[in-house]
Amino acid sequence: MINDHVFSLQLVTTLLLLLPFTGFPVLLGVGKRLAGPLAVCLTGGGLLLSGWLAMHMPEAPVALSTSWAGLTGWNLPFSLRIDTLTVMMLLVVHFVALLVQLYSISYLHNEPERHPRYFAYLQLFVGAMLGIVLAGNLIVLYAFWELVGLASYLLIGFWTFKPQASKAATKAFLMNRIGDAGFLIGILMTYRLLHTTEFSLLTGEAGITQLPAWVGLCLFMGCVGKSAQFPLLTWLPDAMEGPTPVSALLHAATMVAAGIFLLARIHPLLPPDALMVVAVVGTITALWGGYSALFQNDIKKVLAFSTVSQLGLMVAGMGTGNVSGALFHLLTHAFFKAGLFLSAGAVIHAVHTQDMREMGGLRKALPSTFAVYAICTAALAGLPFFSGFLSKEAILSGAFAWAGEQGSGIAWLIPVTLLLSSGLTALYMARQLQLVFGGDGRYTVPHVHGPDARMRIPLFLLAALSLFIGFSVNPLSAHGSWFFALFGAEEAEGPVWLAPASLLLALAGGWVGYRYAPGWITQTAPPSVWVRLSVEYGFLDRFYHWLIIAPVEHLAALTKQHDEAVAKEQAAPKSSHVIRSVYHAERGIVDGLVRGLGVGTVVLAHIVHAFDRLIIDGIVNGAVWLAAQTGQMVRSVQNGRIQSYVTAAVVGLLALLWWLL
Amino acid sequence: MILSLLIFLPLIGALVVALLPDNQHIPFKWLTLGVAMAELLLSVVAYTQFDQQQAGYQLLEQADWITLPLGNLGVVSIDYLLGVDGISLPLVVLSSVILLIGVLSSWTIENRQKAYFSLYLLLSGTIMGCFVALDFFLFFLFFEFMLLPMYFLIGLWGGPRREYASIKFFLYTLLGSVLILLVMIGLYLSVMDPVSTAVMAGLATDAASVDQDLIRLVQAQLADMHISSSQIVHTFDLRYMADGGNYLPNAFLSGAGETTFWGIPARMIAFWAVFLGFAIKLPIVPLHTWLPDAHVEAPTPVSVVLAGVLLKIGGYGFIRIAWGLFPDGGAQYAQTLAGLGVLSIVYGGLNALAQNDLKKMIAYSSVSHMGFVLLGVASLTSEGINGAIYQMVSHGVLSAMLFLIVGVIYDRTHDRRIDSYRGLLQVMPHYAVLTAVAFFGSLGLPGFSGFVGELFTLMGGFQSLWLPGWLPSVAVSGIVLAAAYLLWSLQRMFFGPLWTRDGVESTLTDLNGRERLMLIPLGLLALLLGLLPNVLFNLSNATVAQWLEKFNV
Repeated sequence: MINDHVFSLQLVTTLLLLLPFTGFPVLLGVGKRLAGPLAVCLTGGGLLLSGWLAMHMPEAPVALSTSWAGLTGWNLPFSLRIDTLTVMMLLVVHFVALLVQLYSISYLHNEPERHPRYFAYLQLFVGAMLGIVLAGNLIVLYAFWELVGLASYLLIGFWTFKPQASKAATKAFLMNRIGDAGFLIGILMTYRLLHTTEFSLLTGEAGITQLPAWVGLCLFMGCVGKSAQFPLLTWLPDAMEGPTPVSALLHAATMVAAGIFLLARIHPLLPPDALMVVAVVGTITALWGGYSALFQNDIKKVLAFSTVSQLGLMVAGMGTGNVSGALFHLLTHAFFKAGLFLSAGAVIHAVHTQDMREMGGLRKALPSTFAVYAICTAALAGLPFFSGFLSKEAILSGAFAWAGEQGSGIAWLIPVTLLLSSGLTALYMARQLQLVFGGDGRYTVPHVHGPDARMRIPLFLLAALSLFIGFSVNPLSAHGSWFFALFGAEEAEGPVWLAPASLLLALAGGWVGYRYAPGWITQTAPPSVWVRLSVEYGFLDRFYHWLIIAPVEHLAALTKQHDEAVAKEQAAPKSSHVIRSVYHAERGIVDGLVRGLGVGTVVLAHIVHAFDRLIIDGIVNGAVWLAAQTGQMVRSVQNGRIQSYVTAAVVGLLALLWWLL
Repeated sequence: MILSLLIFLPLIGALVVALLPDNQHIPFKWLTLGVAMAELLLSVVAYTQFDQQQAGYQLLEQADWITLPLGNLGVVSIDYLLGVDGISLPLVVLSSVILLIGVLSSWTIENRQKAYFSLYLLLSGTIMGCFVALDFFLFFLFFEFMLLPMYFLIGLWGGPRREYASIKFFLYTLLGSVLILLVMIGLYLSVMDPVSTAVMAGLATDAASVDQDLIRLVQAQLADMHISSSQIVHTFDLRYMADGGNYLPNAFLSGAGETTFWGIPARMIAFWAVFLGFAIKLPIVPLHTWLPDAHVEAPTPVSVVLAGVLLKIGGYGFIRIAWGLFPDGGAQYAQTLAGLGVLSIVYGGLNALAQNDLKKMIAYSSVSHMGFVLLGVASLTSEGINGAIYQMVSHGVLSAMLFLIVGVIYDRTHDRRIDSYRGLLQVMPHYAVLTAVAFFGSLGLPGFSGFVGELFTLMGGFQSLWLPGWLPSVAVSGIVLAAAYLLWSLQRMFFGPLWTRDGVESTLTDLNGRERLMLIPLGLLALLLGLLPNVLFNLSNATVAQWLEKFNV
């Protein structure tokens, strides 16, 4: 009986992974008419299977495992894990992916020749994402984590002819790689310390050993990259170069939430010190994203920064120990943010621009889109009767309760900042709503056509899921919601004034956003530093360039020059001259480094320099001399005749033997 | 028999090609292709005959080659001894695959075909010889002979600075050879052949009757100096050299380490000497500067063989000879050695980032990826060593692919500068896809072999009792650098609107059938190894487990 159940679980999970991963190559080969419908069917099938799993949920987490790489006394299994969290994520990923693909058939109807590639990439993404949520150990998770990065790369750069798109794709992959390098160190250190990375063993009944804080933070680096947390957040706004449905699926609803999922998985392993850092990073991100959204003119960039901000809120929720609250927000956010992106897509589709300065007045031309947008905005801003209100309250209450337990005044900064940043949300969303739908039309297209049925159905479904009713009977509190019951958690108790206060903040923000903010774009004067701070998201990209890219480039150029100097020296040993030129060349680089990195690097550069001199002076000269001498000797013998070479080798060897004996 | 065939089939082929008249009508390349395909078949047969559960050498072939009694000084004995184990067999199979691809890649060679293919076959035979020889002298002979065809292949069919590059390659490797030769002689003087010595000392009637107990008896007698020096049979047999019991007491390189130079035991000096000899081949920073030059000047097929196979002889030498014969050295300097590996990873990666010549970038990426091999070996863990072998095979496949990719664009435009191209995807879509596959495989994307190699060598580094955690942590930066230089090149060359520096758009045709025939199998191989790593681990695991017993403290 039990074996039967395990067998059917194995079958279902295998199928779940096989559907998209076989879909990927198959879709690349099918015709352009077939690609979209076939992809929808594949994901629909996956949704049904996930539904079956939800219905036949095992009571305890189930681990499935097969050997993947085995060595003596040691095995790295390909293991999967099914628990409540997995099943929830399976449903969310399939559901949103299904809607997005349905929507995409219409959205990309102008470029049918690209359909096979597009839907194939989406299937690759779905498969990789399922791998992440099904992964039973950190290494399997990491493998799919990288594959999701590939899918994201391919989809951001989908329009390969757009230079900006491929730049954004490279940037996204590289920034994620930086996070992933830390993540990998964390995984391998976990392995070194605890001798396993299986979730069932790390957090099972056998007891939980917490990791050292730095190892925990290395693991968290994975989340920082994937979920666009401070300081690795600038790839997400650039990722908006991809098609809008892709932004909805990957860069709003699911992929970027993978970091939150990861935190939920490893939460028990993180010591309080590490969690404190997590909370601080999340809070900074929430504020940073919120402020950056304020002055954007691109409709998608506003949404992108709002995603950054909301992810920050979830991470802060994790950091303050409120796992179920953060996951709750992940769930509600997936629906209303996907709804917002897809409606934004409908707007872009209609007016052929992403610039909000060229929109306006669309409430009349696109009434259904406007309704959906308004509902999802209300949910994002956290207004009562909408899903976002419930989940935001859950995180904020938890944060206030946590701050109370910390017994230090500074800890209160975290919940207070989070509260403020959710006020900012209402502000920039009201501004956006007003700019896009309010006022008079500033668009140039003669005829605005609304979304067709394939685009409207997903929008309506997502709008419906942004209402409170799917999540809690009580519109003003998630207390006793099925969600918390499912995770066996209680909603944290926050202060009584929290709900009224956040409502007040949201209303105030919304009013400012509606009344004043639309005017913030019409100014033609050079923007003030505050505006630029928002538009350039805190100058983070400049900062990276200054702190990382330029020094690495310098260092790379330095190594190149070093090798070239060595080669030159070997080609024509005129040491004094070459050393002087290398010296001058490196002086230039060293100066650059000094500007870039300050005193610390000077020391490093001097070490490098000394090392170079040592090498060039010592080893190379010696080697070159030796080589030249040997060359002279060998040249006469080295005349290409094999026989003479053999004879010489044997005679030489025997002579050497004789001499030694 | 099969291993001898692997060596002599191409050597005979080389001779035949050399003796044939230099005539346009003789299909030298078809002949070479036939030999290469036969080699692949042979190595597959060897693979099927190999018992994966067994750790020791298999498919052994032994014959007396040179026996020279020297009176009081014992007996010189050099054997023709071949065999494979889980360390060498993967590399033999890899070599036969890459050499076959190399022949296909040589199809466009027009100039002096006879000499070219004769040398190519000579190279093939000596490479095989290196991997299957178990007698140090025999190994060294093949190792040296490899230089010769390589020197001419670069020096005669290479690019504009081919003479400089080939001389540099030759001298660097020769320097390594000298170091290895010295150690080989030292080892020879220090090691006895217990079987022949037993016969000489009258402990056994003939070699066949010598069993393990008797060998132990001989070793005990040797340690107690009961065997007179005239009865001791010296040997180049690597199997005997790897057994500490066969070292003569008081000998130059005996385990007791009584001989010292400047206070350093001779064994440690010998370890460093062979290490350097093979480190030049791998190559390890700062001994790597010959590699970019050789690659840049070498014709595409020679680059493919150089990166795909020749570099692996360095890693093979580490495992078989440097660490295999001097485990004490490997253990004592584990940290320094792993540090050199990490230095190569980072330095090679940084240098690749700075290159504008696509071929040079890939050459430096080889330096970076070979650093993982050294890190894995130095970790002295099962994950690390198996991972190092894996990384060698994986890099063999992927670097061959990468150099072929450079060859494709160079054949068409004679320009390898990355910034000479933009938007190639538009005119060469298949080329772009296969380049992306090779690049993502090389940067360690899961699903491709590069991921497994890097994961396991890093895991070895982290699991190692000999290494601090920060050392492999620094190595992880190599995967960020790899992503940076590969994706940056991909973006610059393939995406955006079509543009070329010299307006050569019309010459940019997509892959032809032959190019596909080379690239697609390699891509599939990288995928297969990445998805099913056990294919390779099952082969190497048992041997590595036994090999590691030397390091149990």
